[in-house]
Amino acid sequence: MFSHLTMPVRVAWEDLQERLFFLPPFPDELDPLALFSMLLVVGLLVGEWLRATLGWPKVIGYVLAGTLFGPSVLGWISIEALAQIRPIADAALGILMLEIGRRLDLRWLRDNHELLRATLGEITLSFATIFLFAWAVVGLIPAWAAAAAAVTMASAPAVVLLTVEESGAQGQVTERIILHTALSAAASFVVFAVVVGVVHAEYSEHWANAVVHPLWVVVGGLIIAWLMARIALLVAALLPKRSLAQVFILAATALLAVGTARMLAVPVFLTLFLMGVILSCTDRQKTLSYTHLPEGHWLLAIILFVVVGASLPWPDFTWLIGLQAIGLLGVRALAKIAALAWAGGGLTGAKRVLVGIGIQPLSATAVFMAYEIAGLYPEIGRSSLSLPLFAAAIMELVGPALCRLALVRAGETVDTEKSTGGVA
Amino acid sequence: MNPAIAVFSHSEPLTLGVELELQLLSPRDFDLTRGATDLLGSIDYDGHCGAIKLEITESMIEVSTLPQRQVDGIAADLLGLRQVLVRDCARNHIVVCGGGTHPFHHWPDRRICPGERFDEMSHRYGYLAKQFTVFGQHIHVGCTSGDEAIWLTQALGPYVPIFIALSASSPYVDGVDTLFQSARLNAVSAFPLSGQCPELRDWAGFIEHFSFLQSCGIARSIKDLYWDIRPKPEFGTVEIRVCDTPLTVERAAALAALAQSLVHHLLRTRPRLDAQGHLQVARYNKFQACRYGFDAQISDPVGRRQIPLRTLARELLILLAEDARVLGCWPWLELLDAALITGVSDADWLRGRQARHGNLNDVVCAAARRFSSTASEAVAGRSR
Repeated sequence: MFSHLTMPVRVAWEDLQERLFFLPPFPDELDPLALFSMLLVVGLLVGEWLRATLGWPKVIGYVLAGTLFGPSVLGWISIEALAQIRPIADAALGILMLEIGRRLDLRWLRDNHELLRATLGEITLSFATIFLFAWAVVGLIPAWAAAAAAVTMASAPAVVLLTVEESGAQGQVTERIILHTALSAAASFVVFAVVVGVVHAEYSEHWANAVVHPLWVVVGGLIIAWLMARIALLVAALLPKRSLAQVFILAATALLAVGTARMLAVPVFLTLFLMGVILSCTDRQKTLSYTHLPEGHWLLAIILFVVVGASLPWPDFTWLIGLQAIGLLGVRALAKIAALAWAGGGLTGAKRVLVGIGIQPLSATAVFMAYEIAGLYPEIGRSSLSLPLFAAAIMELVGPALCRLALVRAGETVDTEKSTGGVA
Repeated sequence: MNPAIAVFSHSEPLTLGVELELQLLSPRDFDLTRGATDLLGSIDYDGHCGAIKLEITESMIEVSTLPQRQVDGIAADLLGLRQVLVRDCARNHIVVCGGGTHPFHHWPDRRICPGERFDEMSHRYGYLAKQFTVFGQHIHVGCTSGDEAIWLTQALGPYVPIFIALSASSPYVDGVDTLFQSARLNAVSAFPLSGQCPELRDWAGFIEHFSFLQSCGIARSIKDLYWDIRPKPEFGTVEIRVCDTPLTVERAAALAALAQSLVHHLLRTRPRLDAQGHLQVARYNKFQACRYGFDAQISDPVGRRQIPLRTLARELLILLAEDARVLGCWPWLELLDAALITGVSDADWLRGRQARHGNLNDVVCAAARRFSSTASEAVAGRSR
């Protein structure tokens, strides 16, 4: 589409080139920086417009912008451009996963056993119901049904974190949404590693792939995460706590972890999440505990969700898959709400349900995880994983709104200050 | 006239009650967090040590002991309430802490608790309601009559600076060292009816004064009077309201011991009061105590001179020794004397931690550990 629009300019440019020898060849592709800034502006405008006019979370706007301008609809963001911008999306997801990992405080589970029961219930029930639905109702073979469950069982750390930040939410419902999101993400990564092995066992000609690849993913992620966390803590210990220099160290080691994981084909989301958890568990001197990420991570988040929106496979959409995806989301929602209503860890029944609603988002991690698994055997993987990808596509738009609804109804957002208390 | 104010409830003389306003913190960065309503809803507690209640914002929780004859009973209640709070806060991923101010919280982030009274306060006082996220200790001493309560309200006035200095634990506000030992009281002074009780003859005089305030539309209930010391007719007590919440419950019990011994002494000796003279120097003396703590210079309106607060406080403890022994609370006064001798107040302790750590998050972390620590329980157990 762009080539038609730019044709007269190209002709004029090439005419000029004959006389002005310093002119470079007519650029066929956008410079990555130019693309970055364009995506940023477009995502930002759509997000802010939706927030201002409809009160929707900005994340929905970013995803819609990506969908609209991506290969599926207008095609202004090409598949090549998506590949170009992917490192920035990886960095954004990695930094958000690092943050959710840093917020995981396992001592809370020690002090409140009911929470442990709730989280185990939520993880088990989510996986089991999605697996059964994908296998028995949709008719996927067990390996792909397990893959679908691994991809969709967890909440979306990036969406939850950004929605909480955007709405200035604070309180017990917020804290529990973050906790359960982090724990379900951890569980889904374990299942993801197992599923990688199962898929290899199903399709690979060499059995070693089924054993070594999951180990490569988990052990590789752990080693990179541990190494980067140690470097971050060692260097940060030389600097004043909460200083700008510490912020740079945290961001730099996170980006180093992203780069290393990309080089070694270890999932970025898993590595950075592990790095966050290791930082949270091993930072006894609280060297980096008080150091917050710079506000700039919002800029990266915009790119992330524009890329996610553009990556959604809308051309493959059929009404049957759409219905199946809605069914999957239905059983998933019931599993999560039922598990949390069953064990609340001290919250009232209404607030337990709100926690269950707040952890409904399904987003970037799921999409990236689905593409990781689908990429193993592209000829069959893509079609077999269209169910979880469509479920993620629907929840890209609905999930942030549900999370925000839960926070608002709990009375924990800044906007709800006037309405006293929310759900009691 | 509100009938609850017109009638002064009967209360056993010299019985004690203590209220402590406490901070609710996030264990992640030790900033204040919101969670009082949910915390209160989840607490598994039968009230055997007293009550746990909401305060104006969601980042505060108030505990109040049962009425006790002896300070040991107050200490036991406070230790019991602390145990319940520490346990239930941990179940809700919250940390509880003492101290008169949170050193670095951002007051616009505070949230008013649900409830008619809090709504009304928020509507009436605007941003002051959120800025009132400061933490104090109130000490109630039982009085036999309204007349006695009014007399004590004025007789205790000259000792306000000593209570302020001994409890001072709020040197930091908005992340800045205020150079005050107790900056909390500056937040209280913004309220229109804060300060000293005017000169009053007796209970009838108080009723007359309060009726005047009511008819002018200035005060609706006794809660509108933010006086440093005020009568509390529904409890039948006189209430000392100038103390910061100390960093430990043991210090809170020791301050209650000081109040009980002092009231015992005043009622025993019935000194002649110079309310007019005291009122002329009260604000200056209060400022001195808030600003300089133990190093304050207190104006004596009778002798027309200045006396170091530390000297006054130590002389007072010697004077009260006999009363304290009669009441069985002398060991608690020894704790206060030790603080005066070493010259280290809770505010100084916090500044020491800041000098060591170089950041206020670690200071609050250390203060929270100190509040929850059971190491000093032996002190309380010994005298129980």
